[in-house]
Amino acid sequence: MTTDLVPTPTAAPTRAFRLGIAGPVGTGKSSLIALLCRELSAELALGVVTNDIYTDEDARFLRSAGVLDPQRIRAVETGACPHTAIRDDVTANLLAVEDLEADFAPLDMVLVESGGDNLTATFSPALVDAQIFVLDVAGGGDVARKGGPGIGRADLLVVNKTDLGPYVGVDVEQMVADASAARDGRPVIGLSRTDRPSIEALTGWLRGVLAGFRSGGHVAVDPGPMAPHFHADEDHPGGGYVHAHDDAGSHTHG
Amino acid sequence: MATGAPAAAVVQLLLADSRLPVGAHTQSAGLEGALAAGMPVHDVPRYIDARLRTVTLVEASAAVLALTALAPADGTPAAGWPVDPDPARRLAAVDAAWHARSVSPALRENSRLLGRGLLRLAARLWPDASAVRAVRALGRPSRAVVLGAVGSAAGLAPADLATVLGYDDAQTVAAAALKLVPMDPVEATSWVLHAAPAIAGMAARAAAVRTPEDLPAAAAPLVEAWAEAHAEASARLFRS
Repeated sequence: MTTDLVPTPTAAPTRAFRLGIAGPVGTGKSSLIALLCRELSAELALGVVTNDIYTDEDARFLRSAGVLDPQRIRAVETGACPHTAIRDDVTANLLAVEDLEADFAPLDMVLVESGGDNLTATFSPALVDAQIFVLDVAGGGDVARKGGPGIGRADLLVVNKTDLGPYVGVDVEQMVADASAARDGRPVIGLSRTDRPSIEALTGWLRGVLAGFRSGGHVAVDPGPMAPHFHADEDHPGGGYVHAHDDAGSHTHG
Repeated sequence: MATGAPAAAVVQLLLADSRLPVGAHTQSAGLEGALAAGMPVHDVPRYIDARLRTVTLVEASAAVLALTALAPADGTPAAGWPVDPDPARRLAAVDAAWHARSVSPALRENSRLLGRGLLRLAARLWPDASAVRAVRALGRPSRAVVLGAVGSAAGLAPADLATVLGYDDAQTVAAAALKLVPMDPVEATSWVLHAAPAIAGMAARAAAVRTPEDLPAAAAPLVEAWAEAHAEASARLFRS
């Protein structure tokens, strides 16, 4: 019996590179995918899988955006389990990705959009090779500091809609600096569809990761179920404690 | 993978466990479409019972037939089977018989999608089992036929396999109800327990099926019509 339960990238991958896009509702995941399709579809063969929580709204938005052949955009139902569908039982998504790869072979990249949920949802490396976590300035300048596995350890953090900063009272530079500090130097891009250099930074990052995948040098990384975090506890010296979940089962989170 | 009774007992539990990674969380056993069409919540126990007498009986019977087509209890194919030494062709005959008795294209497509998820699992867990190799040769087999092949690879008895399908169907309805029309979860669990006699009766009927001609043809027009409407719905939590 094989123990190879998580696919490992081989030296010469024949399937498409799989990129996950996660992040809270309304931060611009679908718009980011539309942007990537618009920027890259001339040079890369693309497919998209969406994971809407209650509707096929995201798939319909992307089809109507006219940035990709509608047949290359598939919606997966998650049974109200958007976390499960991208993390502990990725079967439905894997089948949708494999269908796209078979129907439009050869594809260079399949983008998988998570159901917009909350700060804790991240993709399993069994489904995607790399993942982008998306925040937006309109969600508040403090969100990046709150951390979480996606913010802390996704392959790329995008702080979206930077052009809205002045209108929502958010210091964009500070928010990007907070995000960078939370990520120990992992990449952060402040993005606006009206800011051409930011778009080029995004596509440049993606081309670099894709080149790594194609050369066999890329290793999929799990951001983890939970980031190290702080528990308030008045009886504890210092008012609480910080810990990571390496010690499984030490306590529950209410 | 070891075969025999200990593995069979665990495999039976795994197949009944919604945590098995085969995409079960995408399913409501038609409940979402039924509620959307106006079926009242107090009818859910009768809905479970109706499924067990119709679509679930057909699916469980097809699974049993696939199981016995691969591993006849006495080592020889049952009387009534065409003499075909190729197990994949015997499974294809079961799949065709199931298809002919499954009216709704949406339900057939959903079954084949679930079959792929299960086949993906089976191909990894029992890569060398002749039953799994045979079912892989079918391309896109129904869930019932893949379950029969898994049952064969793990050494499940026909009645045990049919019981798994009955339990899974009732529990899928109950679990989906908790997402769609939240209530005290104990109540939903009681539906499954109260369905026990119907599950046992269905499993006994299914376990006795020995040839494709014996496969029950019990349709459920409302279940099938609701499934067709649900497949076209733009706002839904569950695939089926």
